[in-house]
Amino acid sequence: MLRLEDLSVRFGGLTAVNTVSLSVGSHEVVGLVGPNGAGKTTLFNAVSGLVKPSSGRILFDSVDMLRTPLHRRARMGIGRTFQVPQPMHELTVRENLIVAQRFGTGAVDARKIDEVLDFTDLTDKAERHAATELALTELKALEVAKALATNPKLLMLDEVLAGLETNGKRRFMGMLKELHEKFAVGILIIEHDIETISNLCHRVAVLNFGELIADGTPDEVFRDPEVMKSYTGASDA
Amino acid sequence: MYVSKTGLAVIAAAYIAVPLVLGSNNYVMSLIVASMIIGGIALAWALLGNLGGMVSFGHSAFFGVGAYVSALLTMKTGMPVFAAMLLGGVGAVVASLVMLPVLRLKGPYFALAILAYAHIFKIIATEWSSVTGGSAGLASVPRFPELMGFDLSGKIGSYLIILTVLLAFVAAYRAIRASHYGIALRAMHDSEDATRVVGVNSTLLKALMLFVSAFMTGVVGAFNVHYINFLEPDYAFSGLWVTLPIVAAIFGGYRTILGPLVGAVTVYLVDQLIFKSLIPSGHQLVLGALLVAMIIFSPGGLMPLLRKDSRRKHAAA
Repeated sequence: MLRLEDLSVRFGGLTAVNTVSLSVGSHEVVGLVGPNGAGKTTLFNAVSGLVKPSSGRILFDSVDMLRTPLHRRARMGIGRTFQVPQPMHELTVRENLIVAQRFGTGAVDARKIDEVLDFTDLTDKAERHAATELALTELKALEVAKALATNPKLLMLDEVLAGLETNGKRRFMGMLKELHEKFAVGILIIEHDIETISNLCHRVAVLNFGELIADGTPDEVFRDPEVMKSYTGASDA
Repeated sequence: MYVSKTGLAVIAAAYIAVPLVLGSNNYVMSLIVASMIIGGIALAWALLGNLGGMVSFGHSAFFGVGAYVSALLTMKTGMPVFAAMLLGGVGAVVASLVMLPVLRLKGPYFALAILAYAHIFKIIATEWSSVTGGSAGLASVPRFPELMGFDLSGKIGSYLIILTVLLAFVAAYRAIRASHYGIALRAMHDSEDATRVVGVNSTLLKALMLFVSAFMTGVVGAFNVHYINFLEPDYAFSGLWVTLPIVAAIFGGYRTILGPLVGAVTVYLVDQLIFKSLIPSGHQLVLGALLVAMIIFSPGGLMPLLRKDSRRKHAAA
């Protein structure tokens, strides 16, 4: 469904993503891991259209995304969350979802919105002000809910679990698993926690300094000494 | 569309009481009409700022283009005044098309670019003298017609026309703000990226707001030219057509719909009727001081202040 071919993103002299080739199948859950600054979020930004790749291709359902304007990518089925939750300020939770649904799918279906609210445990907060009246867990849930409201085929989740306490994390994990089945989406998830990744993902891709250094099942990847070295930040010693 | 009882009372008073009570006083009526012209531009300017998040110093261009288009259509083709006024608005929209490339600019860059664009139109009006009459201007622009024996070109008639135009603007503004487009525009305010990734074409939405704002301003410019029957470039494209509305909109509260109108009428009438008689020259100084005080004590302007007050009264009752 999603295929990156030799994708590079450079900012001036810095190469944030370096000739990465990666694919995500239509019902696959792929983890994207790597140390801070490895280029994971930049890769997300390139796919969703917020940054422009310097070279390479991004294909989604065989359509060249580099020729597809940002706002049309949501309509095609690319949904994402932000690491730092970005609720649409000034709007209520429900209005956030209405905007996402109306512009992400082209139509408004109140029942589907209720369903998403219910699924993400936000029904009680629907009329609350998104920017000021939600706790972190709820903001993270809203990120997922906004993406779901656009009826995505591919869901890109940027550290949705980070910063949550253990219980919240477990609940959220359960939600993600259920979501994968219920909404029949492919998922590309950035996450640091190895246990979470192993538990959730069919495949793991590892980025280090912008380069893809491993791509395989969690078992294979996390046994690879080079991966573990980059991952634990171990020095040459 | 929902209109509150107070709103209906104000509308009724505006249509009936104002002409009955003040109609015979030509001076006051002309001040009221002038303040409503400023109010119309202020509302259009505030719509662009509030919904589109853009600060424009170029609205005098829309005002002038609307005036010229409407004046020339009535003079050269004999088109009826009201039809020409609408096309004056359309002309302003066409003028705004050349501003589209600057929509990607943000904040002060947009403001400066649009200010520069505004000058282009003034130069065109001055230099293209075979059509526009050049700097000598256009004299005897057709007046408003008679309607069922009632001469609309008089002070009362003109007042009723601009009142109707403003009410139509308010209704349109309300409808836009309540629509899905309006919600998405509100969302874009502080979270443009988040709004774009869910599929909102932010550039298109901003462009649409620019068109609406330009159209409204053009119609007001067209109204003005048929009201005063005369036009020349320096007047039509004067910077006052944007600075006064900005002051009015900010004074009244640019993030509300009625604020710019209330602000314009208040500021203009208070200035002309009170300060001008107290301090014949330099009375604008007082306005400046009032504006600064408003920004410091109630950054949201007059409307939030009034609402807070009425809420307090309700609470006490």
